[in-house]
Amino acid sequence: MDLFWQDLVNGLLVGGIFAVVALGFSLVWGIMNIINLAHGSFVMLGAYTAYVLFSNWHLDPFFSIPIAFVVLFVFGYCIQRFVINFVVRAPILTTFLLTFGLSLLIVNFALLVFHGDVKGITTQYSGSNFSLGNVTIAWVKLWTLLVALVITALMQLWLSRSKTGRAIRAMAMDIDAAQLSGVRVAHLYAIVFGLGAGLAGAAGVLISLSYSLQPSMGDPFVISAFVVCVLGGLGSVQGALVGGLIFGVLEAFGSQYIGTGLQDAVALVVLLIVLIVRPRGLLGKANA
Amino acid sequence: MGLLRVGGLLALTIAGSLAFTTAVPAPASAADGTIVFGAALAATGSTAREGELTKEGYEFWKDYTNSHGGMKVAGKTYNVDIKYADDESNPQTAARLVEKFVSEDKVNFILGPYGSANSATAAAVVERLKVPMVEGNGAAQSIFSQGFKYTFAVLAPGTKYLQGILEMALTLKPAPKTVAIATANDAFSVEVGGGAAAFATAHGMTVIYNNKYPADTTDVSAVVSGIKAVNPDIILNGGHLDEALLLQRTFKEQNVNAKIFGYSVGPDTPDYRKTLGKDANWVFGGTQWSPTAKYKGAAGFIGDSKVYAAAFDKKYGHIPDYHNAESTAACLAFQYAIEKAGSLDPLKVRDALQALDVVTFYGILKFDSRGINMYKPMAVNQIQNGNLMTVWPLGVQNAKPMYPTPPWDKR
Amino acid sequence: MATAPPNRGLGGITGNANALGVTVAALVLMAFVPQLHSGYYENLGRGVLMFATLSLGWNIIGGYTGYASFGNVVFFGLGSYTAAVLWQHWHQQSIALAVVCAMAVGVAFALVLGIPILRLRGHYFGIATLGIALATQEIVSNIDWLGAGSGFTVRPLDAYSNYYYAMWIVCAASMLATYLIARSKLGYAFVAIRENEEAAAVLGVDPTRYKVTAWAISAAMAAAAGAVFAGANGFIDPPTAFALDNNIFPIVMVILGGAGTVAGPLVGALILTAINETLWSHFPQIHTLFFGAVIVVVVVFLPRGILWLFNTRGGWKGIAGSLGAYRV
Repeated sequence: MDLFWQDLVNGLLVGGIFAVVALGFSLVWGIMNIINLAHGSFVMLGAYTAYVLFSNWHLDPFFSIPIAFVVLFVFGYCIQRFVINFVVRAPILTTFLLTFGLSLLIVNFALLVFHGDVKGITTQYSGSNFSLGNVTIAWVKLWTLLVALVITALMQLWLSRSKTGRAIRAMAMDIDAAQLSGVRVAHLYAIVFGLGAGLAGAAGVLISLSYSLQPSMGDPFVISAFVVCVLGGLGSVQGALVGGLIFGVLEAFGSQYIGTGLQDAVALVVLLIVLIVRPRGLLGKANA
Repeated sequence: MGLLRVGGLLALTIAGSLAFTTAVPAPASAADGTIVFGAALAATGSTAREGELTKEGYEFWKDYTNSHGGMKVAGKTYNVDIKYADDESNPQTAARLVEKFVSEDKVNFILGPYGSANSATAAAVVERLKVPMVEGNGAAQSIFSQGFKYTFAVLAPGTKYLQGILEMALTLKPAPKTVAIATANDAFSVEVGGGAAAFATAHGMTVIYNNKYPADTTDVSAVVSGIKAVNPDIILNGGHLDEALLLQRTFKEQNVNAKIFGYSVGPDTPDYRKTLGKDANWVFGGTQWSPTAKYKGAAGFIGDSKVYAAAFDKKYGHIPDYHNAESTAACLAFQYAIEKAGSLDPLKVRDALQALDVVTFYGILKFDSRGINMYKPMAVNQIQNGNLMTVWPLGVQNAKPMYPTPPWDKR
Repeated sequence: MATAPPNRGLGGITGNANALGVTVAALVLMAFVPQLHSGYYENLGRGVLMFATLSLGWNIIGGYTGYASFGNVVFFGLGSYTAAVLWQHWHQQSIALAVVCAMAVGVAFALVLGIPILRLRGHYFGIATLGIALATQEIVSNIDWLGAGSGFTVRPLDAYSNYYYAMWIVCAASMLATYLIARSKLGYAFVAIRENEEAAAVLGVDPTRYKVTAWAISAAMAAAAGAVFAGANGFIDPPTAFALDNNIFPIVMVILGGAGTVAGPLVGALILTAINETLWSHFPQIHTLFFGAVIVVVVVFLPRGILWLFNTRGGWKGIAGSLGAYRV
């Protein structure tokens, strides 16, 4: 029975990481109709930002989160405004292709700069943990989940209350009407993409606390981001969170009770069943 | 635009780029007094790091040989050159590159890629093209079950990787009894795990956990919690560097303790110690070679492991790990075989390789009828206070094993 | 919901006739590659034909029907395993038999899964297919009879060039099939679904039936390519059979070439391979970097694909003018 609780906790903790990666991905997909295949490379850049700050100036990674957010936000803004913008209203596969190319560019550039060897951030508190009964919880993973929750809440608040946030939601509903109402669409598009990138950067910092760093590290997280976004419902901030947590738990239980070799398959089959029964995802809106 | 214009454009692009492709400067050939090897190695992708270590090993041999008078074949002296191409850690790409090296670039011989999957596809190609290949980085025995005659592996096969650790465990007190094995679901790792399980059972230990996890997974918490629940004396992992790092971190996070932690790949590489810091201490690793190995090599190349390590360190800034050494050893096998055969003819060199029986700094180089080096034992390293020490077998030991591993909270 | 670029400016349902003629000529020329007696060119050509077939398959469901699948590699993988098992475990010798069996397996899989999955629209269908591909790969990794995660070698059959010819036949057949389908009632039904699925339903086109048919056809093509590949590669394991490259590259090639045309997939496959090989030879360390840059540049300047060049007026000025078409 203890194993059950341990797996549940493990699943939620890793789910928090999935959720925070999926958040930015879902935002860009839902609002701009762009499947950003370069999202993983943004995550990687965030992780390396934390690494550089940590190894050169001993800056604790948790303080790197806002820094990575800002750096990646600016980077993402520029990429959207000066590259992706040329095809941003093209059908979704065109931008899919473009972000694929961008992803190759960014990852291989990172390979040139940082080389392929595996790097890691090991702090004083890495791996430290505490026990609740018979369940062991790693501090870093717990803080990661909490930070993920905070970021999700902040994002939700900002989108619904702030002027820019409301303009973005208006734009997502009807871009031409928004433009006619004076919304500066080009600028806002870049802001949304920048936000997606910034969130990816923050996720990257959180990931760097638990995982090793390599230029290709972002790819597996993008794949899970795909699944999590759709599971939770596209364009929904809470959806990314809920989807991530559920996906994490599914993987944990599937792995323990059906077979460690099948952990992804179990979660994916559940995803398929969810989609068949409820095509817009768990918290998604009615129109695709 | 009309039919002619665009048709012409299309044809021009394709023909042009293909011509451009092959208009790479012709490689030096044996006619000029250079023996050329082709090596498809990962420079990008999941095994980029290991591919780089392999390249270092090859390059070291090339530079050493060229600066020490080259190779002598039938009275003539030759320089050596190695051509590299990135196989992106992808087996088909490796096969394609090997095909290109042989049929387009007309290299003399092939040095193996990194990894069992890539070695397997490359082996199929060289078998068809009848050019010998020696590899030092593909340990899965399944490569050699096809009856291929042109591929030779200098490294001990996958099944042996963790057996050294178990052998050593049998001599320690209090004797560990229970073993947990977790393997990544790929050819090499599965063989490693299988070999370990078989050895453990045959020597009176009980395997109480034996599971596979998806290769290159991002999360091993279920495996770790499952292992913790059965509380084994020995925990073994068959996998590559990424997985070894992830597992060790997760063991610490979930406070999993055991008397022995053993990994097939990882502890040897400098990255492992650098990344984990003191969390890497007490970890055992199966190793093909260590700088303290006391083999005395045949003359004509660095005969002594210590000298090799020092020269390597001078050139590359780090002590060689076993990937470096086994790659150099693969080149050495060719060197001895070619000089013995006295010819560059592929078939003659192949026969000389099959008959090879020589001791080098890396250990004995001898191949059984399948092409596997069954004659070289695996050693065991342990990370002690940040240093890599060889602890088994007794003949090459330069430190005693630190046993048992203390619990995480008592370190 | 249409997710593929509409076929405006690409010359009708089969694409520009001139472009098609040129591409067919290129295909015919490719049949003679083994005569060059170069392992390298044969390998390269076989790769082009394989990717062209995968692209043609994707083109049916993604280009013509407008349902972008992110998991068609599952059919490629199943086809590979079917053929590998036939040759290695059951000691069959015929390439044709293996290809036919592979296609049967692929079609069956598409029919069984297609009926529930193709009720999903747009993005959700895409992710569902991705999920199917990933899950299948993992399940196969756990089936010992199929070699589990380690895979197994496939002993090559006698004449190695036969694999090239087999792949050529598969590709040519796929292209012919695409041409015939496009001009038939099936083709128009597919396009109707892509342009406006509700209207099509109202007009008597049963969407689910036609969508499943489209997916089954693409499955057959992918599986056939996979079967020949398994023999030529000499080795099969889950990462090889279900490689994500084989999933993504066909999409890239179709979009680059021109989706919803007959010639687009092969054009895309030829050009992308040519670019890739060139970069590889000359920049062995950073070819992927340049490859990414090339893709970015081509997509920005030719968002509707290369075949669009055939139908545009004004040459380079036309391209420059089109830069504004999709921006905000």
